[in-house]
Amino acid sequence: MTTVNRAWGHLSLRGKVIIPLLFLVLIVGPIVTILFANVVGPWLADLLGANPQIVRFVVAIGGVLLFSIPAAFIIIYMELKVIAFMNLRIGPDRVGPKGAFHSLVAGLKVLTKEDFTPTGADHIVFTWAPVLVFLTAVMTFLVIPFGPGLVGQDLNIGLLYLFAVGGMSVVGLLLAGWASFNKYSLLGGLRAAAQVVSYEIPLTLSVVGLILLAGTLSLNRIAEAQAGWFTDWYVFRQPLGALIFFIAATAEANRTPFDMAEADSEIVAGFATEYSGMRFGFLFFAEYVNVFIISALLVTLFFGAWNAPVDINSILALVGLSPIAVTLDPASLGVGPLFLMLVVPVVLTVIFAVPFYLARSTRPAWQALVLGFLLFILVAVGLLFLLAYIGWPWMAGLVWFMGKSFLFVYVFVWMRGTFPRVRIDQLMGFAWKWLLPAALLNLFVTAAAIIIVKS
Amino acid sequence: MTASGTPHQHPSLDDPRIMLDDQIGQFEAVPPYPPRTEREAEFYSLRDGEMFVNMGPQHPSTHGVLRVVLKLNGEQVVDLDPVLGYLHRGVEKLCENSDYHHIISQIDPLEYVSSLFMEWAPVMAFEKLLDVEVPRRAEYIRVLTGELLRVSSHVLYQGWMALDLGGLAPILYSFIERDEIVEMLAAVTGQRMLFNYFRIGGVNGDLNHEFMSRLGDWMSRAAKQHEANIGLLNENEIFVRRMRDIGRLDGATALRMGTSGPNLRASGVPFDVRRAHPYSVYPELEFDIPTRGGNGGGDSLDRYLLRLDEVSQSIRIIDQCLHNMPDGPIMARLPRLLRPRPGRAWAAVEAPRGLFGTYVISDGTDQPFRMKIHDPSFVNLQLVGLLMKNNLLADTMAVMASLDPVMGGIDK
Repeated sequence: MTTVNRAWGHLSLRGKVIIPLLFLVLIVGPIVTILFANVVGPWLADLLGANPQIVRFVVAIGGVLLFSIPAAFIIIYMELKVIAFMNLRIGPDRVGPKGAFHSLVAGLKVLTKEDFTPTGADHIVFTWAPVLVFLTAVMTFLVIPFGPGLVGQDLNIGLLYLFAVGGMSVVGLLLAGWASFNKYSLLGGLRAAAQVVSYEIPLTLSVVGLILLAGTLSLNRIAEAQAGWFTDWYVFRQPLGALIFFIAATAEANRTPFDMAEADSEIVAGFATEYSGMRFGFLFFAEYVNVFIISALLVTLFFGAWNAPVDINSILALVGLSPIAVTLDPASLGVGPLFLMLVVPVVLTVIFAVPFYLARSTRPAWQALVLGFLLFILVAVGLLFLLAYIGWPWMAGLVWFMGKSFLFVYVFVWMRGTFPRVRIDQLMGFAWKWLLPAALLNLFVTAAAIIIVKS
Repeated sequence: MTASGTPHQHPSLDDPRIMLDDQIGQFEAVPPYPPRTEREAEFYSLRDGEMFVNMGPQHPSTHGVLRVVLKLNGEQVVDLDPVLGYLHRGVEKLCENSDYHHIISQIDPLEYVSSLFMEWAPVMAFEKLLDVEVPRRAEYIRVLTGELLRVSSHVLYQGWMALDLGGLAPILYSFIERDEIVEMLAAVTGQRMLFNYFRIGGVNGDLNHEFMSRLGDWMSRAAKQHEANIGLLNENEIFVRRMRDIGRLDGATALRMGTSGPNLRASGVPFDVRRAHPYSVYPELEFDIPTRGGNGGGDSLDRYLLRLDEVSQSIRIIDQCLHNMPDGPIMARLPRLLRPRPGRAWAAVEAPRGLFGTYVISDGTDQPFRMKIHDPSFVNLQLVGLLMKNNLLADTMAVMASLDPVMGGIDK
């Protein structure tokens, strides 16, 4: 006993903590492992296997939460760079190549900042309002079809869900504005409420004609209905609806020229005036996630969702070829690919290096080889990507969907760089006097056209 | 105004009784002392549904440290009360305690956007006191640099106007022009903002090669660039709709309120100090006095467009200056220590914001006995009370930015 005591006495404070923990881990660890492998694991597997819907839901939620952050980062970076380009500035260029990590670092900065709650603010509401705003923005991702089969939940009332959840964000903005105990915030919250509630009506009415045409509320089915050539996209059958949707969605997402709720030259920062730290970060992220969502919705509803503008298979059929189909089964290929994997990189690296070596006689051979290797990687990644694009329909769908969505994100950024802000009465007048009648007209014309065509 | 003397009648966000236990009241719009005038008592009593909003002194679009207490009914501005003095430096007193040469640098930062005009008026007043004849080349240089600065000020105004209405891009295009001008003035004066260039009896340095080459570059494309900048905004439907019929000011009211400069000319009154009370070499130069806003008076859009018209006229004047510039000395011969005869002198110039004048009383010593500064921004700012009332909150920006106040001159 004295030996143990003496040894214990020699231990530093850190040792006195670590060594008992070590024993604990050595004893408890195996027991937990055995228990998990024999009892908990199979039970969990059974549970998950029995409820695939829940598993799918949890995975989808995790996916959209994880996806929304980089999407917001990319859009923030894009906005900084594109507006800088339009303003003849350079924009962020310090962190990463061409400042690509700027928004990431800005996000980290927001995390480290003080979370300040002003005196007189309603603490609970003040804290939870940004969460509500952010969650409503992220939750709308759940029904957006990113590609064939790439949809969180294929709700048959997807569009209704979208408008319901999207409309909830105004509650968050109103709460944020009210709870801040600041008159600018209050004005911003009230403006947001008035604006979003007004524009919700033309926004919803503008897609009713489309719903009549598609016969479904499921975004997935609407996307499938637009397959084929780009002339099958709903924008050509519902041009007025697409225009109204575009304008109303801009207002819905509080983007310039309808950014009444955070008009910086009038009411400082609107509902976000008193926010700092990560709570401001939530509001900020939600704004950019919203930009992506309205772009994605425009693409899904009116611009063919994940469908490519050109139907390659129909062209091939016209020429007389069979549709391209890649079936990759590595097992059926034998030993050949293994051998190729060993030889092809080396050979191609050398082949790609030769022009670099010959083009400049002063360049050492190793530099040429490095350049050749980089070029080989580029080519290989490109080929793999092409293979994936041809082989997996969801990959092709994702490429087209993201491409089109970011095109519209660019349009929104462009609008922000060029337009001044409209006034609140002009904004409301535009919604009620122009957009709403136009949306109703669109609905009536569509309905009449459907009846005439069917009879 | 209740009998008890408190300005609050109804429970509202402004009511100290609903405040928590901390001293939030110190950030209130309502002053802590009982009302001193009837107007103050009337203004600081709220009716049902009204609230105060303290716009400024730190606010993105009050052009400095202007504080305006707005009485809002929803989004509508019922009444407002500008509160000045956040940039007060006591320039007039500083000038009375500096000798005549020092005054130029004391008065420079008044209107920091166009500081040469702030030097011009007192220098002219002192020259009247001293009976100095300024060399013609110096006069031409003054006109040349002054008109350059007028262009830069008006171009910057264009960008600020757009920024206050939420447009991000034009301000940066404006700053390209302003930067060009400021750099070329820095080449001749040695400073980018507070030039300290005019001297009693002339100017500090002759035009040098860098200035002339920069000016030549700029002049070769100035008119074209001005047209391009006009195209940025003037046909923008949102911008025009925000500005039209906002803050309409008729000529008689403008004169009654003592308005001067572009704001007056935008209301249809062709008053320009350069023509009405000619000074320097302006009688020899050809330029028009553009006016806007016919019978109904001028609105914010007129005030905006008028400044763009003036830029073209200034470019015309610069062109003539370059063609007519005589050779000769740039300074009159004067003693180091100036002791003008006892007397009074008034001199006024047409600054980009209007009539900028100084009234100097000399008692025969090397410091003025009294120096009164008449700043156009201060007088023009009076108009906000007339023009902003019963507009929307967003229109306060369209009105205030269109009046183009600079707080340095207002608070002195």
